[in-house]
Amino acid sequence: MKRETITIQDKETTARVQTSQVQAVRVKNIIKKGVRVYQDGKIGISGAVGDAADGDLLQNAVENLSAGIAYPYPLSGHHMDHRSYNDHPMTSQELLEQAEHILAVLGQEYSDFSFSEGISFQETRIEMKNSEGLDLQYHDAFFGLTLILKEKATANLLDGALVCQTRQFDPDRFLSFNRNFLEAYRNKVALPPGDVLPVFTLGTESTLGFIGRSLNGERFAKGSSLFSGKLGQQLFSERITIELNRDPLRKGRPFFDAEGVVLPGDSLPLIEEGKLTKLLTDKKTAQLYQLAHTGAATGNYDDPPTIDGAHGASLAFRTDTADISEALQGQMAIFILMASGGDFTADGSYATPVQVSFLFDGNQLLGKLPEFAMRSHLHEMLGKDYIGTFANKAVYLGDIPTQLQGCYMTIMR
Amino acid sequence: MFRFPHDVYVDVRIVESHNTEIRFKELVLQSQKIRTEKGALIRVFDGTRWYYGSTTDLENIQASMDTLVQMATPNPDILNHPVVQAFQVNQEKMLRYEADSVTKISIEEKQALLEEILAQIADPAIVNHNSRYVDNKTIKSFFSSKGAAITFDQQTCGIRMTLDIVCGENKDQAGISKGATFFSDLGGYKQYFQDEIAKSIAFIRDAEPVVPGEYTVLLSPEATGVFTHESFGHKSESDFMVGDETMKAEWALGKRVGRDLLTIVDDGTLAGNGYTPFDDEGTKGQETKIISQGLLTGRLHSAATSVALEENLTGNARATSFEFEPIVRMTTTYIAKGTRPVQEIMAEIDHGIYVETLKHGSGMSTFTLAPARAYKIEGGQITTPVKISVVTGNVFSTLQEVDAVSAEFELTSFVGGGCGKMEQYPLPVGFGGPYTRVRKLKVQ
Repeated sequence: MKRETITIQDKETTARVQTSQVQAVRVKNIIKKGVRVYQDGKIGISGAVGDAADGDLLQNAVENLSAGIAYPYPLSGHHMDHRSYNDHPMTSQELLEQAEHILAVLGQEYSDFSFSEGISFQETRIEMKNSEGLDLQYHDAFFGLTLILKEKATANLLDGALVCQTRQFDPDRFLSFNRNFLEAYRNKVALPPGDVLPVFTLGTESTLGFIGRSLNGERFAKGSSLFSGKLGQQLFSERITIELNRDPLRKGRPFFDAEGVVLPGDSLPLIEEGKLTKLLTDKKTAQLYQLAHTGAATGNYDDPPTIDGAHGASLAFRTDTADISEALQGQMAIFILMASGGDFTADGSYATPVQVSFLFDGNQLLGKLPEFAMRSHLHEMLGKDYIGTFANKAVYLGDIPTQLQGCYMTIMR
Repeated sequence: MFRFPHDVYVDVRIVESHNTEIRFKELVLQSQKIRTEKGALIRVFDGTRWYYGSTTDLENIQASMDTLVQMATPNPDILNHPVVQAFQVNQEKMLRYEADSVTKISIEEKQALLEEILAQIADPAIVNHNSRYVDNKTIKSFFSSKGAAITFDQQTCGIRMTLDIVCGENKDQAGISKGATFFSDLGGYKQYFQDEIAKSIAFIRDAEPVVPGEYTVLLSPEATGVFTHESFGHKSESDFMVGDETMKAEWALGKRVGRDLLTIVDDGTLAGNGYTPFDDEGTKGQETKIISQGLLTGRLHSAATSVALEENLTGNARATSFEFEPIVRMTTTYIAKGTRPVQEIMAEIDHGIYVETLKHGSGMSTFTLAPARAYKIEGGQITTPVKISVVTGNVFSTLQEVDAVSAEFELTSFVGGGCGKMEQYPLPVGFGGPYTRVRKLKVQ
């Protein structure tokens, strides 16, 4: 019988903030353990929250073999990879000092706003080991700040957010950017003229979420994906490459999937220069549908591995264009800070309200725009209306690299 | 049980959660899981600041409490602090689900029920499907340094399936979910799943893109529930209002926010996803009329917000799990039913949209509803299915646009998903209501 263990330890200190003051301090230390056993092509699993005895977990996993859940695939093995991405975690005391400093400055200089939510330091340690020689360890720690911005003069629930996720917090840089941001916020401006305008989004989660569902190898093989039958075909602009990315420096997540697969260089392109070349597959999907195995298994610590693709968290666009100002050629653009609640229809039509956005010249935010809505279609956003995917230099969000993606959208005022 | 210190307020919430999950991909078993989680959240208050600690080490709650107390500043007058004074001291054991506990049903019986429902899936348009049976039985115990000692249980179970449907060039995913409080109720929903599957296939086969614009929209009870939750429910959570004079003025009690036909209620005593007989700081659940006949008459509170706004406790301090502190959340929120039949209300719509089911919704200054199934209403009749990305409206004005609510009324129950507020997701909530007509919403 082969054995595999997954251990997750999350430690956290959070300063809960209400109306610009630290109202509470929360400390957390949670361990989760999962055990998988494999015998005669079957998998048995057990798990527990808390520091459960290994013997009990093993016994429960062995008993779970009787459920008869098939897993006739070779285990990942003979691979040791221990990585730590932050050896200098912040202490709880340092966190509170930073939180109180930031809130004091913001509260004093921007008394027309209130700031609420949390400032935290989270440390994660994930280990995956098995009897075949797999020994993976991922350790990371982040300072995370989410301050919901509320303009005191409005009756809205919230008016925006200051966000930062970083391994090493630089308070001066954070304050410098957010002073500019809040000054831009105070400067209310009108939307530029025109029905079709250049729009830049910070992050690409919404688009990648839709694409991720379509890249799911199982859905592709069953014919239910938007991309079914299009392997090798040009889907998007030749400038676009979308990859499965497990680089912790880029994603802030573990470098291995739920089957212990580590990608060479931590990434693998699935759409290359606009052309569909691979799908998201775990071991089962790859074997069942004769697709290339791409290491896209997901699952909780106490679940059997299953294929990813329900969301785009492990996908990433490659940066393809250097200079936003050059791409805009003097045209004013819209920078989206908050566009919540919209969605794609099954055929790729997209529409969303935009709650918070700014006038943007390609380098900096110039003023806050009124609410509006926008729409387009996936193939136009990443085709004829595509401007580019850029390294984000306009907005400071911490030391994890982020991107801005631009395309022309139809604006509804 | 615990050695509570005298110079600070302390409460302890112990959560024991028993979960079953059985997953199938088509007709092949993928996982069969029984998980028991035990954890505790300890809160310490010194009159100035709260200190929270979550732990899975239940043997050492006292030690965790003592560590948190060390962080606080002793306050001999803590019992006279208004928030501490506001805390109820209930001493009650309310175990409603002992006799019909889902933990007493064998996993084989649960799996057999799911397999029976899956056996109905035969249409060739369904090219793939993933399904799961889930149940949860939670026992919560709450103790405070003021003397509260409460134990109660909550229970839900249900089935959720995701279908990949292909009808020629038209393809999409459809989600179908049904929840219940008792396992025995689920057996009665086989026809429900069959009907929903048929509707989903017909929708994907025939739906055409909507022409964007402003429409009169008729919402089903499910859509009414999400609409109520997103368009107004979050506005009634009073933590958004504390220290905010503009919000307080905008949402002053007594203000008219809708027509006489509009009454909105939050009720933690109702069985279902939102059942909260005691909230997570020991306050007894209750019915709260947020809007009565179009007038703003109440809002939802924790002890801290009730003191800050000088209003009564409502039992709405809830946490998603033992890992989090309670914040102000909804329980079961609904629009009260009207007197007119839905057919009569629909007959008055010449050119509109009927929203039957939803993928998701959100609520900020602009609330959103992303329909899964929606249809044109033409000449008072439901006609062609339409693909819609999003339906939006302004929270400040849309309630005034509600001009009819039906006599037909349903509280929906589902599994999977829930309400998200900042870091805390998903929290089980209940919702529903009558068929509701909104005179003007943007549809894209």
